[in-house]
Order: sequence, then structure tokens, then C-alpha cells
Amino acid sequence: MSVEEVAGDLHGRQMSGFKDFYQFIAPTRVIAGRGLIEGLGFELSKEGAKRVAVITDEVIRATGLIDKVQAGIADGGLEVATIYDGVPPDSDSAVVVAAAEQAKAEGADAFLAVGGGSVMDTAKASDVIFTHGGEPRDWEGYFGLPRADDGLGRPYELAPLGCVPTTAGTGSEVSFAAVIKDREEHLKFQVADFPMYPLLAVLDPEATRTLPPHIAAATGMDAMTHAIEGYVSREWTPHGDAYALQALRLIRDNLERAVQTPEDDDARGNMLIAANLAIAPTSSGAIGITHSMSHPAGAHFDVPHGIANAINLPWVIEYNAAGGTDIANRYRDVNELLGLEAGGDDATVAHVLAEHVRGLVAGLGLPGRLSEVGVPESAIPALVAGAMGDGCTLVNPREPTEEDFAQLYEKAL
Amino acid sequence: MAYFKDDQEVYAHIGKLFEDLSVDPELSPKFRRADTIVQYQYRNPESQITVRMKESEEPKVDLGRTDMEPEVVMTMEADTAHKFWLGKVNVTVALARGQMKAKGPVAKILKLVPLVKPVFPKYRQQLAESGREDLVDVA
Repeated sequence: MSVEEVAGDLHGRQMSGFKDFYQFIAPTRVIAGRGLIEGLGFELSKEGAKRVAVITDEVIRATGLIDKVQAGIADGGLEVATIYDGVPPDSDSAVVVAAAEQAKAEGADAFLAVGGGSVMDTAKASDVIFTHGGEPRDWEGYFGLPRADDGLGRPYELAPLGCVPTTAGTGSEVSFAAVIKDREEHLKFQVADFPMYPLLAVLDPEATRTLPPHIAAATGMDAMTHAIEGYVSREWTPHGDAYALQALRLIRDNLERAVQTPEDDDARGNMLIAANLAIAPTSSGAIGITHSMSHPAGAHFDVPHGIANAINLPWVIEYNAAGGTDIANRYRDVNELLGLEAGGDDATVAHVLAEHVRGLVAGLGLPGRLSEVGVPESAIPALVAGAMGDGCTLVNPREPTEEDFAQLYEKAL
Repeated sequence: MAYFKDDQEVYAHIGKLFEDLSVDPELSPKFRRADTIVQYQYRNPESQITVRMKESEEPKVDLGRTDMEPEVVMTMEADTAHKFWLGKVNVTVALARGQMKAKGPVAKILKLVPLVKPVFPKYRQQLAESGREDLVDVA
């Protein structure tokens, strides 16, 4: 490896060596194992909760899981102040406000999200409204929540929030961002600040027992994308690497099992842990343009995020690896971990990994083309504009042009 | 000690850069594609620059008070802004550290970041031409 590759200043990126600065944050208390739903009250009481607003959706409620959650909360001597089960697949501002108002009206002092990414993000944003008031768009942006010392000091705490993820993919139970849809303006926006890290994440395979295989597959590919993009981002960190690589090991050993044999509690539990680990690198901003491409596909055509990532990821791997050996070497590590051929030139390494991902996606029964999920070729200019403006683009190891994105979308179509 | 002694120095250097960019024949049309009004609120010294980058309206830069209603508000130390225009600030890291705070649809501004690289040498040149070489070589 050359000095330039280690120092990494050829393209303003550093893909190995000692970094001048990074910040890694993992403040959420994570508990993982079996039978944890029964002890939810005990665990939430440690976070200061007394009257809990449970945020969920109708599908989850219909599975009977919420009955177990209620019993678990009561068993710990806490009260369920209210259950809000109106969260749609893509949560929106009105839902966030409604959930916050219901929690306030019923005298809640804490939140528990039981659901997938939309439910957890709703709970986070509702907690912001519950605590600070206003509308969700008022808090759009990064690090904008009220702080001590005239806005420069420690941010004020929100009401305690716990999360029980019912999908193994987003990792939202340990992230500090909420993605919310503005239905009037047809866009998604982010609210993100440190107090939005949930205080508690409960990873119990009981919560994913009724997860349909196609959703387990799509969300699992979301987790895999987080891990690979987190590891190969220009904002990689040694801390993030540790999380990403262990996530990939768990995904390697458990994703197909969890999808093909849904009754396999061990596989589902390990996928919950994998998704939880895989999101960790994003705390330092480590992500990439697979996400940049998938976000506008979701915003314009409602392509489920995990499916969009599964389709886009292999094309991005091949594109990024062509940006330099320092990037390709990170994919080489991934190949080695996944038991793939790790030798050969940069293009070979990337192609082997990309083909592996394509094969995995096909084996999981997921679509392999954006055109199969309703994205027309005519949408490429709008998708490119969205991808160029996505925050994930800034941290990709290779800097894409509009033409690059157009070509990537053409391939993914 | 802050690089700029008062708001007028901020406007003379960073403000002038924005004014120059707003009429730059190559960069201005690209910036206008952001289609937004962004306000930069600086501390140490307290100062404010509001920039209109709208496709349907002429570019406009207000130094200090403004009657424009910003859609995006970026808050930071004036020193951080100075270092950014020297090409010494990683926006992602600055956001993660809380050195920059962003309110509103930040994506509209983030997509401009790759476009500003050609501006870094312009800023250095501008500082040198105004006799402020001391501001160029900062850590």
C-alpha cells in the first residue's frame, strides 16, 4: 500500500490510518435476549418512566404484541397512559402531532415505540413536540433543539423514550434522527439532535415473530447496506468499523435463515442485533450514496427503503471501487468477511461483492430492478436532483457527479 | 481570539465573498438551483448574512438586518465560517460536532457543498488582495 493510500489525501479522503478527528456516539442502553417484553415495565422504570404512551401501528396491534407489552409495563408497576396505534407506513407531521397531543392529554410522562422505523421515528418526533411544542417542521434540521446557555450548552432532555423494534433493519432504536413525511409538500424531512437518541432499546425476537418474510428480507438488506456503507464511507471510524463488521458477520449467518425459516428465534434475534449494530457508524456520519439514491426513490415512488437499497447497493459498490484502491480495499475486507474471493484487482473485488449482493437479493425473493417497483426511466432527472442534494452524498468515498448518478440509476432500472 | 474583530470585518470578507458569488457567471446559476433563502447566523462577532438563491428571482445578499424570510438557517462561529471558505472544515464533521447547526431543509444547502470547492482559492485571493494574508494561514 502506498503512502498516498494510507495518508489518503489524494482525493481529500482518508480510508485508513489515524484520523485527525472523529466522534462516535452510542448512548442508548441496549438489552437483547428472550422474554424481555415481560419485563418492559422494570426496564422503563430505570429510565424514569411512570405513565407510558405506547406508539405503534394497527398491524402490530392486531398481532397481539401490544397486549403483551401492556402486561409487561404493568408487571413493572408502571401504567400505560395511552396507546396510539395510528402510525402509517410513512409517518407524517399530522400523525406526530396527534400522538404527542394524545400522550399529553392522557398524562403520559414517557414514550415506548413498538414497531418498525416509521413507528420509532414517530415516537421520537412526538417526544420533541410533547416536550418543546410546535410543529415537526419547526424542528427540521440538525442540532436545533433547545439548549442551555443561550443555545450553546447541553440540550434539554426529552421525555424518556424506549423502543421495541419489530423489524430488523432501520436501527432507528439507537439513532438520533427521525424521518417524517410532509404530505402537503410531498417531501420527507429530518429532525435530528442528541436528545432524540432513545434511552432504551429492547431487542427481543418475540417482537419480530409475525414479521412477513418479504419485509424481513427487505429490512435485512437495509441493515446490510448500513453495514457496508458505514464501513466504506469516507467518515468511517475504527469504532464504526467494529460495529459494521460484526453486523455483517451476523447478517452473513442469519439473514437467509431468518427469512426462510421465520420460526427460527435465534436467527431473528441475531438479525435484530445485526441491524442495531449496523446503524452505529452513522453516528459519525458514515453512510453513502446507496442511501442517496434510495431516498428520492422512496419520496417519489414509495419504493420501500430496504428494497431500494438492495437494488442500488451492488451498482454503488462497483462505482465506488473504481474510485481508488483505498476504497476497493475496504470492499476487499468485506469480501473476506463474507467468505468471498478477496484477491484480484479493484474491479474484480467490487464485481465479486456486487454479484454476491445481487444473488442474495434474488435468493431472498426481492426485486432486482427499480423498474420492477414502479420507477420509470423518465424519472431519472428528478431522482438525480434528489440524490445530489442528499446529505449522504457528502460522505461517500467517491464524489459523484450528476452524470454519475444518472448512469447509476440507468443501471439500477 | 476570533479572526474577525467585529461584524463589519465579517461583512468585508465573508459578506463580500457572497456578494461576488451572487454575480459570478459560472457559479451563480448553479447556486440558484438550490431555490431557497439561507441565513448564516454567526457568533463571535455577532453577525448575519442572508442570501437569496432562487430560480425565479435575482440573487440578493443582505449583510446584517434583512427583510428576507430565510428557509434555512445555519448557525456557527464566524471563525468556523472563515475556515469553511478556506476549505478547512468538513461540513459533515462540523454538523456532527455541533460546530454548525442547521435548521430547515438542509438538503438544499448540502447539495451546494461540492460546488463550492472552486470558491476556496477565490476567498484566499480576496483576503490577500485586501491585505489580510494573516487570515489565510489559520490552523
